[in-house]
Amino acid sequence: MKLYLEKLVPYSLKDKITLGSSDIWNQSIALNDGELIKIEAPSGTGKTTLTHLLYKVRTDYSGSIKYDNLELSKCDKDALADLRQNYISIVFQDLRLFPDLSARENIEIKRLLTPQFSTKEIIVEMTDQLGVSSILDRKVRFCSLGEQQRIAIIRALIQPFNWLILDEPFSHLDQENIIRAATLIDSACKKRNAGLIIMGLNKDNYFNYNRELIL
Amino acid sequence: MLNQLLKKLIRNSAGQAKFALAVIGLSIAILLILSAVQLQSNYYELLNGKKNQDSIANFLVVNKSLTDQNVGASSLSLSQLNDLKKQPFTESIGTLTASRFKASIQSNSALFPFYTDIAFESVPAEFIDVNTKDWHWDEHSSSLPIIVPNQFLDFYNFQYSFSQNLPQLTPQVVKMVSFKVTLQGSGQTFSLNGRVVGFSNRISSMLVPQNFMDWANTKFSATNSFQQPSRVIIKTKDPGNPALTNYLKKEGLITDLDKTRFSRYRQVVDFVVNISSITGFLMFTFALLIFSLFIQLTISSCKEEIELLILIGNSPKSIGRFLMKRFFPPNVLIVLIGLLVITIAQYFLADYLIGKQIILTPIISWLTIFGAVLLLIVLAIVNYYTIQKYLRLQQLTK
Repeated sequence: MKLYLEKLVPYSLKDKITLGSSDIWNQSIALNDGELIKIEAPSGTGKTTLTHLLYKVRTDYSGSIKYDNLELSKCDKDALADLRQNYISIVFQDLRLFPDLSARENIEIKRLLTPQFSTKEIIVEMTDQLGVSSILDRKVRFCSLGEQQRIAIIRALIQPFNWLILDEPFSHLDQENIIRAATLIDSACKKRNAGLIIMGLNKDNYFNYNRELIL
Repeated sequence: MLNQLLKKLIRNSAGQAKFALAVIGLSIAILLILSAVQLQSNYYELLNGKKNQDSIANFLVVNKSLTDQNVGASSLSLSQLNDLKKQPFTESIGTLTASRFKASIQSNSALFPFYTDIAFESVPAEFIDVNTKDWHWDEHSSSLPIIVPNQFLDFYNFQYSFSQNLPQLTPQVVKMVSFKVTLQGSGQTFSLNGRVVGFSNRISSMLVPQNFMDWANTKFSATNSFQQPSRVIIKTKDPGNPALTNYLKKEGLITDLDKTRFSRYRQVVDFVVNISSITGFLMFTFALLIFSLFIQLTISSCKEEIELLILIGNSPKSIGRFLMKRFFPPNVLIVLIGLLVITIAQYFLADYLIGKQIILTPIISWLTIFGAVLLLIVLAIVNYYTIQKYLRLQQLTK
């Protein structure tokens, strides 16, 4: 599934964006199947805005976002639900977990949308890998930010996807945990031949990026 | 499993007290509406049912008011009959056929001798208030069934028997007495046995089956031609209806004025039914409002959860379905309980009324069941639209 961005300009950043200063805003670019893309962006340049636009959390923009032939702005609620269940997965910067559900339930509620894709055991496997098995039955409200971040990553990886969008996914993790998470994410993308868009403040080498873009 | 998690997320945040209030309101409303429907259908059953000996439907025997001008010409014309049939208050109309031959009855027993000349009338069976299996006659029948006005028996028992020093007779005894009926006319005489099979409060004539009357009139009548009836019986829902009274007056017709008192029953039933349905519908409306409010409160208090559910890939439709599954089953339960209560009440009502010689079906009417289904449909629609509306609103204000 290719992702096309055509002259994309969010209304909120209209005044800030000057022609040619960004690789993405107000440009025409195509992101290919299976590409690992790093989007580097200093604070205030619209990382989270871009994440939200790509996932259709917000629609206040000019230009167009297309997944293959699907124009995101014209996508109705059912099609959007299908897109989010089967084609695009995300880790929000603010994680967006249900605080009153346990870590396991937070992952499970996502897994049950596409139960044929992954089994319950996979949750345990992944939490083992990321070192959060012990907090699986703890309410998310009582988990540390680092634990919550890893739960959010697992939740994103439990579903089928063609694109995985990560908005500063490792901000609360130490180096060791970042490497574990990156390995898990990388293998999940490879398994699906899916593309990865990861937003970050600085350069990094957590993945073998095909492209590094400046926002 | 997903539903269990959703249940955990979308709690009754609007509070159990409000929910209980809505449930109580809806239960009372549904009970009132369904009992109004059942009462109305019971009333119609009594009005139109053929099972009841003396139903509260009103039958009026109508004839021309005899004056100096119309003496000897008291028959009702075809156009008058058709006009009467067309009137909105007329449910059905039956003609009373008078015998056009001489007849007498005579005792078969020397112990209880009597002889009298007599005349018969006949009327279609559905207008007769006596329900007996003996009410049939054909040319091979051994005896002729006769229905006698109750007033005749009263007259005999409380006046005649005293004056003649004769024993009083119970209806059962009268029914056992067989007597000889002799018909005369067109130079022929014919005798057969007769027997009283019942007593009528409705028609003050000696009644014989219609087919007997037709046969005898053809055979013994001096004038063989068809004659217009002088009296008809009409079935009407409300003899107190002013339109009926005015019509009869205008056409120079008279009827049993005392019958109008039966219209009181109707007024009472109508009053009860109306009050019950109006209160029921008012309460139903309020209960619907409370339920809608409840749904609205639940959705808005779970705004963030619903938003997040949609964000992680649930479709608003599936959340709507979940909410429907959450809110609608209590409604179904309430309606079912309402139906059950009405069913039990109907059973006991029928049981009680049977002691009063009023036969009512102990099973609730299909109209009541239909009413319950209709209420459920209304509830489902209101639930569905409230859920859709607030889910949509919530997404718009996101």
